[in-house]
Amino acid sequence: MEVTKKYWKGIEELNQTPEFKQLRDSEFPNQHAVEQFLVDDQLAESSSGRRDFLKFLGFSVAAATLAACEAPVTKVVPYVNKPEDVTPGVATWYASTYYDGLSYASILVKTREARPIFIKGNKDFGFTKGGTNPQIIASVLGLYDSERLNGVRAKGIDENISVDKADKAIVTALKAAKDIVVLSPTIISPSMNTAIAALEAAYAINGTSKVKRVQYDGISYGAIRKANEQNFGAAIIPSYDFSKAKTIVSVGADFLSTWLLSNEYAVQYGVNRVPGKGMSKHFQFESIMSITGSNADGRAQIKPSESANVLAYILKSIGGSTFVSSALSGESKKVADAAIAALKSSRNESLVVCGANNEAEQLLTNAINNQLKAYGTTIDLSNDVKLYQSNDKEASQLFDAIISGKGPDVLINLGANPVYTAANGEKLRKGLEGLTMYVSTARYADESSSVASYIIPDHHLLEGWNDFMPKAAHYAVAQPTIRTLGDTYAALESMLVWAGSAARNGKDSTVAYDAIKASASILGFPDFAMLTHNSCGAVNAPASAYTYKAVSSSATTKSGDWEVVFYQKTAIRDGAMSSNPWLQELPDPISKVTWDNYITMNPVQMEKMGFVTTYDQEHGLNMASVTVNGQKLTLPVYPQPGQAFNTVGIALGYGRGANGEAIGRGAYQTKEYGGYDLNEQGNRKAIGLNVFPFVSQVNALPAYSATAAIAKVDGEYLIAATQIHHTVMGRDSIVRETTLSTFLKGDKESFNPAHKLQRLNEHGHHEEAPLEEFDLWNAHPIEKVGHRWGMTIDLTSCIGCGSCLVACQAENNVPVVGKDEVRRGREMHWLRIDRYYASAEESSVGKKANKDDFSYSEAEIAAVNPAVVHMPLMCQHCNHAPCETVCPVAATTHSNEGLNQMTYNRCIGTRYCANNCPYKVRRFNWFNYPSYKKFTEVNPAQDDLGRMVLNPDVTVRTRGVMEKCSFCVQRIQSTKLTAKKEARPVIDGELATACSEACPTNAIVVGDWNDDRSAVKASSSDHRAYQALEEVGVKPNVWYKVKVRN
Amino acid sequence: MKISNIQQVTMAKTLQLFAFLCVTFFVQHTLFAQGEALFKSKCSSCHQIHKNGTGPMLSGARQRWADAGEGDLIIKWVQNNAALRASGASKRAAAVFKEYGGSQMSIFTDLTDDQVNQILDYADAQPKDDPAKAGANGGAQDPNATQVTEEEEGGLGFIWIVLAVLFVVIILSVGGVRRQLKVATTGDEKYNELTYWEEFKTTAWKYRGLTGLVGLVLTIAVLVVVFKSLYSINVMENYQPSQPVAFPHSRHAGENGIDCKYCHNSVTKSKHAGLPSVNVCMNCHKQISGDGKPFAGEIKKIYAAAGWDTKFGPAGGYRNTKGKPLVWNKVHVLPDHVYFNHSQHVVVGGVDCKQCHGDMTQMKETAKVLPIEELNKVEGNIKLTKATLTMGWCIECHGAKEVTIGDGKNGYYDEIHSRLKKNKTLYKQYLANDGKLTANELGGWECAKCHY
Repeated sequence: MEVTKKYWKGIEELNQTPEFKQLRDSEFPNQHAVEQFLVDDQLAESSSGRRDFLKFLGFSVAAATLAACEAPVTKVVPYVNKPEDVTPGVATWYASTYYDGLSYASILVKTREARPIFIKGNKDFGFTKGGTNPQIIASVLGLYDSERLNGVRAKGIDENISVDKADKAIVTALKAAKDIVVLSPTIISPSMNTAIAALEAAYAINGTSKVKRVQYDGISYGAIRKANEQNFGAAIIPSYDFSKAKTIVSVGADFLSTWLLSNEYAVQYGVNRVPGKGMSKHFQFESIMSITGSNADGRAQIKPSESANVLAYILKSIGGSTFVSSALSGESKKVADAAIAALKSSRNESLVVCGANNEAEQLLTNAINNQLKAYGTTIDLSNDVKLYQSNDKEASQLFDAIISGKGPDVLINLGANPVYTAANGEKLRKGLEGLTMYVSTARYADESSSVASYIIPDHHLLEGWNDFMPKAAHYAVAQPTIRTLGDTYAALESMLVWAGSAARNGKDSTVAYDAIKASASILGFPDFAMLTHNSCGAVNAPASAYTYKAVSSSATTKSGDWEVVFYQKTAIRDGAMSSNPWLQELPDPISKVTWDNYITMNPVQMEKMGFVTTYDQEHGLNMASVTVNGQKLTLPVYPQPGQAFNTVGIALGYGRGANGEAIGRGAYQTKEYGGYDLNEQGNRKAIGLNVFPFVSQVNALPAYSATAAIAKVDGEYLIAATQIHHTVMGRDSIVRETTLSTFLKGDKESFNPAHKLQRLNEHGHHEEAPLEEFDLWNAHPIEKVGHRWGMTIDLTSCIGCGSCLVACQAENNVPVVGKDEVRRGREMHWLRIDRYYASAEESSVGKKANKDDFSYSEAEIAAVNPAVVHMPLMCQHCNHAPCETVCPVAATTHSNEGLNQMTYNRCIGTRYCANNCPYKVRRFNWFNYPSYKKFTEVNPAQDDLGRMVLNPDVTVRTRGVMEKCSFCVQRIQSTKLTAKKEARPVIDGELATACSEACPTNAIVVGDWNDDRSAVKASSSDHRAYQALEEVGVKPNVWYKVKVRN
Repeated sequence: MKISNIQQVTMAKTLQLFAFLCVTFFVQHTLFAQGEALFKSKCSSCHQIHKNGTGPMLSGARQRWADAGEGDLIIKWVQNNAALRASGASKRAAAVFKEYGGSQMSIFTDLTDDQVNQILDYADAQPKDDPAKAGANGGAQDPNATQVTEEEEGGLGFIWIVLAVLFVVIILSVGGVRRQLKVATTGDEKYNELTYWEEFKTTAWKYRGLTGLVGLVLTIAVLVVVFKSLYSINVMENYQPSQPVAFPHSRHAGENGIDCKYCHNSVTKSKHAGLPSVNVCMNCHKQISGDGKPFAGEIKKIYAAAGWDTKFGPAGGYRNTKGKPLVWNKVHVLPDHVYFNHSQHVVVGGVDCKQCHGDMTQMKETAKVLPIEELNKVEGNIKLTKATLTMGWCIECHGAKEVTIGDGKNGYYDEIHSRLKKNKTLYKQYLANDGKLTANELGGWECAKCHY
C-alpha cells in the first residue's frame, strides 16, 4: 500500500478536463494569452496599416540608433567620511531581531551600500535557530513602500506638520485629560514597558495614574492563557519543544505555519523528521487542509465542533477523566486510535496541541499533556512565551465605550489596528473619529489610524532600535540597519517625550538607543556592543514552580450543520503585511492561489451542490454566500481536497484598505492595463474580503470558527492560481514516497528502484541496463574536475512553507507580475513548490494501474482526503540539458562546474528552451516588468523607493528574454572569490543559495559535489536520493530524496 | 708654468678659505638636511612650518617658548609633552594643550636634544612665502594643475563638413564653367536646358561601368565605416569628462609616489576600486593647503567638501558643517549585465593597476582603461588585439593569461590542481593548445563568470 500512490496536482488533472489537457500539452497557455500580449488597450481601435507599421519601424530604428550614440553621464559619489564597515560593492551583515506582533525571529540582515536587501534567519543565536517564515523574509520590501508615512500627520490637514507642534498639542491634552488609554498590540519590549510606566507616573492624580493600558492583538490566543491560569495559576503560554516529541498530535493547530511561534516550531519539527529509528510520528485533526496537516503521517477531517470530542477520546483512552462526550466514529476514530497507540508508546516524549481559541478545549489539551507527562519535557512552563498577551475582554470593553461615545479623553494607539480586526470595526472607526484626542504611532494611515488626531509614524522595524523579551529567559535587541528613510519617530521615543523624560533630536536622536541600553544594563548586559553583536542573550527567568490542578469545563465549540473556519494563510496571515506584493503573489502552499481569499470546500461536496470544481485562466469559480450570525459574505468557492465535509474555510487578512485608506502600494486590485481599479466612491478596491467582522466573541474570546449557512449564488470569479500550471504530465518518477517501515528494511529497490532501460546485447537479445549506459551526448567534463555544484532536496523534511520561494524572489530580483498575469500562467518565480495530492492505487512504484487510458478509477474518493507531497522545483541544471541544444544563439550554455548558464544579453526570446525543458522551470519575460505600465502598482522595481530592494549583483531582466534559477551563481562566484583571495579551498557549507538558507528544516543542501567530504555528496549518495524524471536521461545536478511517512 | 711665492701663499689662503667655507656650508647643509628629514618623518603629519594645523606652526616656536620665559623647556616638551604637563613645571605646556582642545601630541623620547634643535633650526630657517608674490601669481594657470575641460564634441567633424561643402561648391562651379564652355564651343543651347541632375544621369549612364564600380566601392566603404563605428558605441576611448576637482594623478602618484591603493583602497576587497572619500584626501591635505600656489583653489574645493575651516580652531575640530560629498563623473560605465570585480583581478590575478590603466604617474587626468595600442606598450602586458572594454578584450586576455596552479602558494588552486590531476586526459587537453593552463580553462570563458 505504501508505495502505491498516484499523484495529481488538481481536480483538473484528476478529472482530465479538456482545459487541463490543453495546458498539459502546450508549454504556454492558449492564444488568448498571446493576443493579450500583443494587443494594447488602444491598439485595438487604431487604424494603423502595414505601411504605417513599416514607417514606425524605420523611424524607431533610426531613433534608437541615434539615441544609443550618446551615453548618459553617470555620477559617482564617494562618502565624505566613510564608515569603517561599509565598502561599496561588499555586503555587510547585521545581527538583529524581528518582531511584528505575530512573528518573532533572530535574523541577519544583509545590507549593500547601507541598504538592507535581504533577511535570513540567525542560526547561531536565539531560540528560533534560523527559522523564519515568508513574512519575515519579505518584510525587507516593506521598508521601501513609498506609501509608508513620511512625516507627522494631523487630522484634516493635508500636509505634514512639525513633530514639535504635535507633541505640544498631545502633551497639553494629556495634562488636561481625565483618563488616558494606551492601546497596543502585545508589547514585549522591556524599554517600551518602562516608557509606558513613565507615562503612567507622569500623568497621575493623587498618586493614581490616569493611564490605563490595553493590549489587543488581531489574532487571539487567549484560551491557552486562560486554561493555564486555571490549571497552573498563571495566565501564560508555555514554550513548546517539538524536537523532543516523538509523537505529535495537533487538533486544529497549524503549528508549522501560523500557530504561535510557528517558525521556531518548524525548525524543531524538522529535527525529528529524519527517516530513521527516531523519526517522529505526527497526527493531525483538522477541518481545513493546513500546511501542518499536509505534513502529517495521519490526518483526520473533523468539524471544528468535533475537536473537543477528539481530545476527550484521547484523554479517556490514556487514562484521564473527561466531562465531554468522547464519542468518535469513522475515519477520525481510526486516526485517533493510531495516535493513541503512538502516544502510549512514547510517554514523556509526546506533545498534544490544540488550535481552537476555546478554553474548554485547551483545558482538555492540558489534561492530556499532563497525563502524558509532557510538562517538563516537551512543554516548558517556566520559560513562558511573552507574545500574544491580547486582553480581549478589556479590549472589547474599550471598543464598546468608544463606539458609544464614552471613550477616553486621550487614546494613544501604538500600532494596533482594531478597526480592521475587531468584529465591530466599522462602528469603531466612527467612534474613534469622535475622540477628542486620538494619537497613533502607526506606520501607515491604516483603517484605525487614518481617523487619528495625530499620527507620529514609527520607524520600520529595520530602521530603529528595539528590544524584546519574547520568552521569560530570553532578551534580544534589534539594531537599525539603515538611517531612517523618512521623517519617522521611534514609538519608544514618542512615549518618553510625552512622558516628559526625553527630548526629540531629529534623525540624530539617541533617545530610543539610550533607553534600550539602560534596559539591557538592568537586565544584566553591561556590554551593549556584545549584546548587539549577538543580537540576544539569556536572562534569568523568575523561578516558579507550577503544579497541575485538574479543572473541567464543557463549554466547547457549538456545532451546526455547516461550520466555517477562519484561518490564516502563510503569506498574508492577519493582513498586517498585505501591501507586500511578494507575499500577495506567493502561491498559497496548499491551494496555490495568489492575490485572493476564497471559500474552501471539499470538491466532492461541491459537485453535489452544483459548484464547478475546475477552473482555468478563462473559466472562473462559482460564488457562494456564507451566512454567519445573520451577516452574509459572498466569495468564490475553491475546491480544496482534504477539507472536512460540511465545513468551509475562509482566510483572514484580506480586504485591507477597503475604505480608501493608504495601507501600501501593493494592497489593491489593479486593472488589466495598469492603474488601480477604483470603486464607486473613487477608492482603490481592496484585494479579497475582510472576514474579521465574522469572528464572534464566544466566552469573551474571539472564536475562529462558527456555524454557518451556505448557498450558491450567481456569478463567476476568475482566480489566479498556479495549481495546474507547469504540470509535469503523467510521469511517476517525479515524486517518490515510502513508509518508514519499508525504508528501515534498507532495500533500496523496494522504495527507490533504479531506472533501467531495454537494449539489445551482442547476441541480439533484449536486456535491461542501467540508465547511465545510455547517452546521446558526450559528457561535460565536470566530474571530479574543479567544482560541480549540486543540490539535494529532502521531500521528507520539506514542509512546503514557501520561505524558499520568497527568499529566491528577494535574492534574484524576480519581478512581481500581478494577479492578471498569474492567471495567465506567466508568474515569474524561479522556484515553485509543486504540491502533489496522493491517493492509494493498485500499482507498483513508477507504474500506473492502467498505463494507456490514464484514468483514475476511484477519483472521487481520492479527492476526499489525499496525502500531500511538497516538492520545490527549480532549474535542475542538467548536465545534458535539453534547453542548451535548442538555443539558436547559445544564450544558454553549460559551465564546467555543472551549471546551466543563462545569458540574458544573448537571448533573443525564441522560447525553444522553455518548450524543451522537461521540468518546465524556465520563465519568459513577456513584458518589461520594470517599466511597463501594467506593473507600476505591483512591481517594486517600478518605484524609486521600491527599487532599492533590488540585489545589485543580479541583472534586472528586460522584456523578451528567458530567465530561470541560476543556482544563485552570484553567490557561487563570490564564494569562490573569497576562497581564492584567502588562498584556501572552498569550505563545505560556505556556499548557501537563497533557498537553502531560508529553509527552516534544512531540507535543501547545496555544495560542491566533487568535494568528497561535502554534505551534498553524502546526501546524494544516500539510498533515498533519486533524480526527478531520471529516465529522460538529462542527468540533473539536483537530487530529490524519497519522502518517508511514519 | 712658474708661480711666485706670493702667489702661492695667496692661493693657499684662498684654498684654505674655500675649504673652510665649503666645510661650513656642508656641515650647515647636513644639519639642515637632518632637520628636514626629521621634520618630515616625525612632525609634518601634524605641524606645518608657517601655519597652525593640528598642532601649532613650528617656525618661531622656540622664540615663543623663550618669550614665555620657558625657552629651555621646549626640548622636554617635544620629547615628552605628557611628562612635562604632568610635572606642572611649565605654564606654557598647559596653555598649548588647552589651546589645542586637549588633543595630545605624540611622545618622541627617541629624539635627542640636538635632534630637536635641528628640527627647530630647520623650521626657523625656512623662508616665509611672500604673500604679495603669491597673490600676483595666484590667478595664473599652473602647468601641473589640470584644467580638465570638456572636449569640444565634433570639433574635427566641423572641419570635415566645411571641406565637404567647399568640395561640392568647387564641383558645381567647375561643372558650371564646363557647361558654359560647352555652350560656347558647340553653340548647342540644349546643355543649358538640362538640369544638373539630368546631366549627371546622362554622364553616369555614359560611363556606367565606372559609376557602378565607384558606387559599389562607396557602398562597401560606407557599410564598413558604419559597422566599425557601431562597434565603438559606448566604448568611448577618449572620454574625459570635466570633474569637480581638477585632480592630477601625475602629482599624487607620480611626484609624491602615493600608492594607488592608498586612495583606491577597496580595490583589494570589492568589485569597485572605489574613489577615496574626502576624509582620505584630508589625511594629507590638512597640511597641504597649497596656499599661494595656483592650484589652491582646487584644494579649497576639498576643504569645502570636508567642511574643513581653520577659523574654527583646533578646539572646534576645524569643522564648520558636516561637509558635502564631491560628485564625480564616472569614466567607465559597464552595462548592468556585466559583472566585473577589481579584487578578483588585483588580488587573485595579481594584475597591476598599470596593466589596464597605464602609467598613472604620468597622467594628469582621470584614470581610465587605455586603448589597446597603448596597453600593449606597457611592460609585462600580454599583447592583445581587441579594443579595450569590449567583451573580445576580456575573452582574449582570459584565453592568454596563464594561471599557475599547484605551486603551493594558493590553497584554492592547489585543490583544483589535485582534482585536475585525477583526469589526465582533460589536463592534457587543456595544455594541448598553448602548453599552459589559462584562465579560460578554469572557467574564465564561461558566460556565468560575468553575466548573471
